[in-house]
This record gives sequence, C-alpha cells and structure tokens, in this order.
Amino acid sequence: MPRTPIQLPTNIEYLSILDENAQIDKQLEPILSTADLKRMYHFMLLARRADERMLKLQRQGRIGTFPQSLGHEAISVGAASAIGSSDWHVPAYREFSGMLLRGWPLETLLLYWGGFEEGARPPDGVNDLPYCVPVASQLLHATGIGMAMKIAGDKKVVLTFFGDGSSSEGDFHEALNFASVFQAPVIFVCQNNQFAISVPLSRQMHCATLAQRAVSYGIPGIRVDGNDILAVYAATKEAVDRARQGLGPTLIEGLTYRTTAHTTSDDPKKYRSPEEEQLWSSRDALIRFRRYLADRGIMDESARISLEAEIEQEIKEAVRKFEEAAGDKELLNPLHMFDYLYAETPEFLERQRNELQQFLASRSAGPGRMEAKSGESAGRDP
Amino acid sequence: MKSTEFRLPDLGEGIHEAEVLDVKVKEGDQVVEDQPIFEVETDKAVVEIPSPVAGVVEKIYVKVADIIKVGDVMITFVDSAIVSAAGRQPIVSQSEPTPASTQQPHGATTATTATTAPDRSPGCPVPATPAIRKLARELRIDLNLIAGSGPSGRVLKEDLVSFGHAPAQATSVKQQAPYNGQWQRDPDVHGGTTEPIRVEPITAQPVELPDFARYGPIERIPLRSLRRKIAVNMTQSWTHIPRVSSFDEADITLLESLRQKHETSILKNGGKLTLTVFALKAVAAALKLFGQFNSSLDVATGEIVLKRYYNIGLAVATSRGLIVPVIRNVDTKGVSELASELNVIAQKTRAGKIDLETLQGGTFTITNLGPIGGTGMVPMVNFPESAIIGMARSVQKPVVRNGNIEIRWILPLAISFDHRIADGAEAAMFLRHVASLLEDPLQLLVEV
Repeated sequence: MPRTPIQLPTNIEYLSILDENAQIDKQLEPILSTADLKRMYHFMLLARRADERMLKLQRQGRIGTFPQSLGHEAISVGAASAIGSSDWHVPAYREFSGMLLRGWPLETLLLYWGGFEEGARPPDGVNDLPYCVPVASQLLHATGIGMAMKIAGDKKVVLTFFGDGSSSEGDFHEALNFASVFQAPVIFVCQNNQFAISVPLSRQMHCATLAQRAVSYGIPGIRVDGNDILAVYAATKEAVDRARQGLGPTLIEGLTYRTTAHTTSDDPKKYRSPEEEQLWSSRDALIRFRRYLADRGIMDESARISLEAEIEQEIKEAVRKFEEAAGDKELLNPLHMFDYLYAETPEFLERQRNELQQFLASRSAGPGRMEAKSGESAGRDP
Repeated sequence: MKSTEFRLPDLGEGIHEAEVLDVKVKEGDQVVEDQPIFEVETDKAVVEIPSPVAGVVEKIYVKVADIIKVGDVMITFVDSAIVSAAGRQPIVSQSEPTPASTQQPHGATTATTATTAPDRSPGCPVPATPAIRKLARELRIDLNLIAGSGPSGRVLKEDLVSFGHAPAQATSVKQQAPYNGQWQRDPDVHGGTTEPIRVEPITAQPVELPDFARYGPIERIPLRSLRRKIAVNMTQSWTHIPRVSSFDEADITLLESLRQKHETSILKNGGKLTLTVFALKAVAAALKLFGQFNSSLDVATGEIVLKRYYNIGLAVATSRGLIVPVIRNVDTKGVSELASELNVIAQKTRAGKIDLETLQGGTFTITNLGPIGGTGMVPMVNFPESAIIGMARSVQKPVVRNGNIEIRWILPLAISFDHRIADGAEAAMFLRHVASLLEDPLQLLVEV
C-alpha cells in the first residue's frame, strides 16, 4: 500500500495579449469587428469619465456613497462583450462600465447611487440583475440562474463578477461547488484588484493565484491580465463557448488594481503607497487599448477628442435627467421599498407596509403621536 | 436676486461632522460648477468639495479649523444656475441661511442629556452596544444608572460622557481615571475609531492679545489635529498638576560598554539596544518600590489610584508633533524583547501608522532628548499620570572617583511629578534609585 501521487489537472495559465506597452500578440489577438472595438472603448471611457463626475456629485451631496470603478473597466467591458444580450449578466458593484455597455442608462445608475430603488430596474431587453452590494451573494444567484437555464434546456449562459475579498466568503465556495457539480453554464469572473477595502491580497489568500481555486472544483481556471481587455474578452469567449456546449462553469481571474479608494468614504493613503498606485496607473487598460486602436487605424486622435466631447455631453444630459427624476415626489415615497422585491408581496411585508403607511399618515397628523408610535414598535421588535 | 446655499453633505457613510482644512474661494468670487471650493477632513478621509453650482460666492460661513456638522450651511451663492439636489433632503436649497456654528464647549453640549436614573424594568439588560459596554467598564460606570438617549433607550457614548461629567454623580461613581475629555479620535493616528471629533477649548478663558500686525507682518496658522490635541493636553497638565522637578546624574560608563557589546546581537533580532531600553527596565523596577509615581489622583473621590501594572509611554517626536506610544507590562519583558518592541513602535509612530490602542493605558512616561541634545530639562507630566522622567544627552565628563579624576559617561536625569501625590524627598529617592540601577547593570539584572 504505497503512497502514490494523485494526478490533478493543475495547469493554470496566465493570459496576456495586449501588454502595457500596447504590444500585441498577433497569434492570440481575438477577432473583433471595428464596431465592436469602438463600442468597447466607448463604454470604458464613458465609465471612466462618469466615475470622475460622480465623485464630484457625491462630494456635493447630490448622490450618496458609491464605489468608483477605475481600474475595473477592462474586465467588466471585456467580459460583458463576450455574451449576448439575452445571456445573463450578474454584476457585483464595480461593473459600472459593463452595465453601461449592457444598456443601463447612466441616469438609472445615478438613481441607484442616489438611493432610489428605481435605479435597480434593468433596462428592457437585457437579462441583467441590478448591482449587488452584499459581498459574494450574487454568485449564488448566478449559479441558481445557471442551474435553471440548464434544467429548462435554455442555451443562455450566466456571467457573474466578484472581487478578491469575496473569494474568502462561504458563498463563493457554495456557488462554485454547485455550479461545478451541476455543470451549470456560469462564468465566474474575479475582479482581483488586490484589496478588500484595506486588506491586501497577501492577507486574503496564501496561494499563488485565485484562478487555481478552480482546481478544487474540477473546472477550468485561468488568470488574465485584467488591464488587457483583449485577454479578458478572449478568455471569457472561450468560457462562454464551453458553457453553451454544456461543458460547465469556468473561473476567470482578472488581475488588476483598484487605483482609487474603495468607496467615497475610504482613504487609501492610510494603507498603501503612492508609488504603488503610480505603478498600476501606468498599466491602465484605457491607455494601452487607445494605443492599440490608434495603431490599427481604428481611432485617431481627432476621433478620440470628439468622443471625449460626446461623452461629456452624454454625462451632462444624464445628470440633468437624474436630478429631474430625483425631484419627483412619487419617487420619494418610501412605500416603494416594499413594491419591487417580490412578484407577490408576502404577508409579513404587507403588514410592515401597512404599519409604515399608518406611521406616515400619523406623522403628517402631528409630531407628538409619531414619537409614541415609533417607540412602541421599536420596543416590540424582538 | 435669489441666494443658493450649500450645506455640508454626509461625505461618507454616517459621517456627522468635518473639520475645514481649506477654503479655496473668497466672497465675491465667480465660480464654475465642480470648481473646488473647500477641503475638509472627516473621521475617514480628507476630501475636496467641488462647487455644486456656477455663480458668485455671496457669503462664506465657515473658516479653516472649524468643526462643522452635516447640514450646516457652508457657503451661499448668487446668480447661480441652480442645480436641484438629488437627495431626499436637499443639500442645496433656496432659503434663508442659518450659519454653521462650531460646537459649544464640552460641558455645554453634554449637559443636555438626561442624568437622572432611568425607569427600566429590573433584571432586563441595559440596551447598549458592546463598544459602549466596554467603555462603561473602563470608566467603571454602571449602565443601570444611565438613561439612554438613543432609540428604545439605548445608551450612547454621549450619555456616558455626560454622566461622567455630571457633578451629582461624580461622588457616587468610581472611575478608574478622571475623564479627561479626550474622546476625540486623533486624525493623525491610523486605524482609529469613528467617534465624532469634539472641539476642546484649549484654555478655559482666552486671553486678549495685542494687535501683533501693528508692528510688522504676521501669519496666522490654525492649531489643528495633533497640534491642537497637544495644546489641550499640556494646558490640562499645567492647570491641574502642581508640578515639582528635581535632577540627578547617572554614571553609565559600565552600562554603556555593556550596551555597545550587545548592540550587534540584539540588532540581529530586530531590536535596537538604546539607553531607553535600559531606562524602561530601571523605571519599571523603581516604580514597584515607589508606587506613588505609578498612580493618578482622583479628585472627584479624593483617592489616589495606584496602578498595579507598569505601562510606560515613550515620547516620540514625529513630523506632525509629539506622540506617546505605550509599552505594556514593561516589568514582565526582557531587554531583548523590549529592544524589538520599542524599535517597531517608534518606527510605526514616526510613520503615522500607530493604532489608537497603543496610545492608551500608560501609567508613566519617559522622554529622551539625548539623541537631540541638551544638558537638562523640566518635563511636563503626561496628565493624568503622576510623574515623568526626562533623559538629556549623556556625555563623557571628567569626574572625581576614589580621589582621582576619571573620564566617565554621565547621563543627566530629571523628574517632574505631581506634588499632590508625592513629596520632593520621595521623588529624589525614586530618581536616585533609577540612576543607581543604570549605574550598576548587575543590580538592574538582580532587581528586575
């Protein structure tokens, strides 16, 4: 009874197609139309500029706390470009650029970060879930949808996203395990930006890559340069093709860097060096993709400048629409929070809804009663 | 002509207030939308506030170093292209502005909360968060005595603070150490809590100053963050502690050769064998004999609080000001261990990365000006401790020993202490004991 090594499929690859100096690997370059490439760049740039503008809006109190997505555009847009509109897109909270690409109007996403439920409503014609702020819970939704697609014999695939911090959650394991056991058509894309708020990657995991987690679920895993949109697209395309053929899920790790704060209430200067941020800014996905488009003659400098102007207008218009919508009295009605979660409102929510309605009515009747009422109900709360 | 006001928004999640660091515009300035107008610091970060409108600055209600609350009016504009606010409570509105007010001095704000014993069913736990329970334990305040002002009677930090301040309660409640008003998080210290910043008046009564500008050009720099905190602490020390100082010298020739001999091996373990390391050991040993210098006076109860733990703070000069990190249980730690710990703590402090916890719980302080220079000093007691030892620069001096003049290493020492707790004779004996331990490393070894 000897000890014999067990052979495991452990070849985890790293994929890079367009490097930080905009050098292209011609062998690996994916086939994408000029229109597709332009579209990808458009939404990366739109997200970048809108992010910058939104930071200002937040500082002015015009929207609430939100996470910027600088450094995440290539993974989000690259992966989302590899699925069709009827496929499922299940984002975390840094897939701003990909959601814009999927057709979410910017003003809708502004409503979301402005604190309105209406901002969670996906546009017609796409199978998207809204932003998911609780860490890693969206992975289970994605696996569930994938399993449903498989049971229904539907050929749609599910693309979902999460961060390196999420990989330490139980939900991550449960989602990948079920997806692999049931060979659900799910593509798990990790936005490995090397920080879970202030916790660095070295305190998140002890292994060399996040992609190698795939080995333990018996599914393909790959690490890609997360600032290389072509590599992200190519890896996702492969995974989508496999999933559509019934060959199950894939784990893709995009290695990138969160070049800004975790959210608008974070200060990264407290836990990392400006040199490190500088280094990663020089690897920015937009810089190399712009050079690639210029080298291929797809977009010259004047085209880029007019795109910038077009985007500036687009953002201005979206902010205007958002603020107009946000001023709507009906949108401010707190009873809405009960209306959009379930197709049929369960009894306990109906009860709470009535309670709130009465409370609101009593508040407009007089302030004295309101206080007694709120104290009472808070006291009853177990 | 309508005026548009801008109020401080909640810049993070649940931020209550912010300190104004910079005002980037003047009244009468023309501004464009998104032009930076203020820089403020919250508990979490320094952030720039861009203008929400394009227009002319009508009036600015805040100035640098003001602590303002969320919702306070910061600035008003006229001739502005109005941008309606998205939030449920408009930040920008067109109404009569009420100016931002900086917070009242401490006592005034806290006196408003209830200090009478609450009406609560017996046997029921008092609603409070774990952090508040911990704080109450530290302050030895019985939560049952406090009427909570939070939702469902939850006890809040403000309740504890005001309770600690209420004179009627002071005699019935035993506190571990007198509350010194230092709830504020030091924004210079990494990893602090999210307590709201309280503005402490530096002195009770501001003294009228002459008009300096009459005699030449002047510049006014706001007293902020750490500098302000030091000012508050020193005023407290000076006001509350009747301080006396005395001086001594230690012949550290033997210790110095010992130190030099072992420096390299300690360095291999990541420690720096400095004179301070030996001073830590000597002071801890001496404090065990002279407990009055490891104590605090509780004026409220009329008791001396003797601490049976020896947590020694070390004054560390940083680019932002003086910070005193604390080494815990010095008496139980070996020289090599202390050398490593001291090195790590000093480096972290200088880098601004020391956590709040390391700055708390000190029982005595050592300040070593030796590396910088000086022949002596009169240190200030680190309130609410009762004594501090200062070390000046050790130099080789000709001294008379056994009738001969010899060249010896001499370390000047000073002690400042709270004369309410101890007398000059005890202090001189205490300091001599510390000096003798430094003079005779063998004795140091035996005693600690």
